[in-house]
Amino acid sequence: MVLLSDKKRHLSRVIIVAKKELVDFVRDWRTVLAMILVPLLIFPAIFIALPLFLQGEAAELSAYELSVEVQGELPEDLSAHLDGRGLVITLSELTVNGTLSEPGPDADRLNSEEGVHAILRLRQVDSNASQSWYYAILSDSTDELSLEAKTRTLDAVLTWESDVINATLAENNLTREEAFDPIHWDGDQGAADVASGGDLAAMSLAMFIPLVVAMWTTTAAIQPSIDLTAGERERGTMEALLCTPTSRADLLFGKWLAVAIVACVSVLGQMVGLLFAVNFLTGGGLEAPSISTTGILLLLLSVILFAIFVVAIELAVAVRAHSVREAGSILGPMVLIFIGPTLFAQFVNLQGIELWWFVLPIFNITLAMREALMGIYDPVHIFMWVSTSLIYAIGAIWWASRQFNREDLVESLS
Amino acid sequence: MNDVLLEVDSVTKSFGDIVALSGVSAEFRAGEVVGLVGGNGAGKTTLLRLLCGLYRPTSGSAKGFIEGQSVDIYKMRDVVGVVPEATGLYARLTAWENIQYHSRLNGIPDEVAWTRTERFAKLLDFDSDLHRPTRGFSRGMRQKTALLRALSHGPKILLLDEPTGGLDVTSARMVRSLVRRLGDEGGTVIYSTHNLAEAQQVCDRIVIIHNGTVRADGAPEDLMTETNCENLEEAYVAFTGDVARTNSPVEDEGRIARAWRRLLTKRGGSSE
Repeated sequence: MVLLSDKKRHLSRVIIVAKKELVDFVRDWRTVLAMILVPLLIFPAIFIALPLFLQGEAAELSAYELSVEVQGELPEDLSAHLDGRGLVITLSELTVNGTLSEPGPDADRLNSEEGVHAILRLRQVDSNASQSWYYAILSDSTDELSLEAKTRTLDAVLTWESDVINATLAENNLTREEAFDPIHWDGDQGAADVASGGDLAAMSLAMFIPLVVAMWTTTAAIQPSIDLTAGERERGTMEALLCTPTSRADLLFGKWLAVAIVACVSVLGQMVGLLFAVNFLTGGGLEAPSISTTGILLLLLSVILFAIFVVAIELAVAVRAHSVREAGSILGPMVLIFIGPTLFAQFVNLQGIELWWFVLPIFNITLAMREALMGIYDPVHIFMWVSTSLIYAIGAIWWASRQFNREDLVESLS
Repeated sequence: MNDVLLEVDSVTKSFGDIVALSGVSAEFRAGEVVGLVGGNGAGKTTLLRLLCGLYRPTSGSAKGFIEGQSVDIYKMRDVVGVVPEATGLYARLTAWENIQYHSRLNGIPDEVAWTRTERFAKLLDFDSDLHRPTRGFSRGMRQKTALLRALSHGPKILLLDEPTGGLDVTSARMVRSLVRRLGDEGGTVIYSTHNLAEAQQVCDRIVIIHNGTVRADGAPEDLMTETNCENLEEAYVAFTGDVARTNSPVEDEGRIARAWRRLLTKRGGSSE
């Protein structure tokens, strides 16, 4: 009974500390922005807003009427292809005797205010084919309009070339498929894949989720870890806190809980943003991933164990630091230690995977997440990653609590 | 004689090579207002931190007494209220929320803590500021908040580290008056200060600490009598005639950081 009430008292103090830290976080708009809004919006911004913006910019460029000078004889077929592309064509004689790509004096004309955005040089050559030409398009790659003029002209030339090839093949009684694609797939390649849409969605998630979890758990926990340890020391709040009857272990667990909640909300926000962006890009046709309840539970367990491990390590490192600046300069590069193995583990073949991969810290959690998402439930693998991750998590907490028991923790750094 | 609540016996406290306290012995009894008087780096803060269990003695013992029974000093935290020199307030919380957080950690219901806080806040003329965020508080307001926070759980002993440092005259008077009142009501206050006039005015007993050792311990009048001095300042000088040390306890900067600093210092051609 005494033990129970003692446990209750400890738990209540842990919750008091965690609640206060969360209130403190929420009242800081910068933290809310960095921890909640940025993770939520980063993938939609990258996958939706950026392409939309680029499309808008491309449309803006395509509205321009651009001037192209054609040097040499302009075949009628090509002239027809150049029409309707927003190009004003002027004709002039080809004065170049050597290689067509050598700009010569025309370089100055492209760079001047003369208004020529690109120059198409054409020279017909003797050949067995019905038509054969050399060509070059002079343009300035640092000038957006010149580049756009080149793109439109090149597109017209390539379409014309395709027509010429087809005509030559026709003269020899050949079709394009017979000449260039004599062995070809029959029907839709996607239809031949027996994997369901749900399986494919789960596989796609297995490529993203471990990386998102690793990156965002580690980065999201940095700022609160520093704020709650080195920050408290620097502001002089730690000494007053340590004078209360709350044990240091309770204080540490309360702070850990608050950081873990912030990190998890942050990761969750990023996943929601990612799924929204992917769903948007696939036109809302993204099928629900086929993940069983076991898979979801294993995924959650792996995320929780990873969060316990990462947050405890970051808290311990931040406690050891002598200032907020020092804590930041150590924890910033430390993110690579977590992200590197995660990235590496993405390329490990799950088929016939060696058991020792599930013992290595960070690798084991990444592989566990991939297996859970892909519906691979090997009891030996699960035992290995759960037990080793537990050991690492307990070890990290033990180290953090040792750091939190340091006598110099009371020293104000300010 | 009143009951002893806190006792340090032959306590030495070192931080690496630096000895902050050396062979310090003192007793603190119920109902006393005791002033710890000394210069910068004398060891006052170190002694206060030992008394609230933040530091462990390197040698000697620091004990607390509950109902006459000796207990580990750490267990005295339930009955001790502390105002550290840095005050330690959370800027995004209101004064009351700062107080409430600590009283909850002390296991005190909010209603009880509020009643106590409101009572003392009125004495400090601070009751109208309790629901304001502490960001932007003046030094005096911060000190008052920290004092109310330390009093919110009804401690038997109050440990104050330079509570009037940096305060204006009115605020300092209010704090002194509150401390004296607590002493008159039977509370125990241990009060570190540089200010001898203040110590003489507020304290029943003064412990003079100098270079990490206790040089004198007694009522202000007794200290003056013992040194044949007319005022406490002269008595203080008589007790602390030797030159004050310049080194104060500093935090260990860490092995790698120290090695790096030494390397750079040597390259720079200057000595440490």
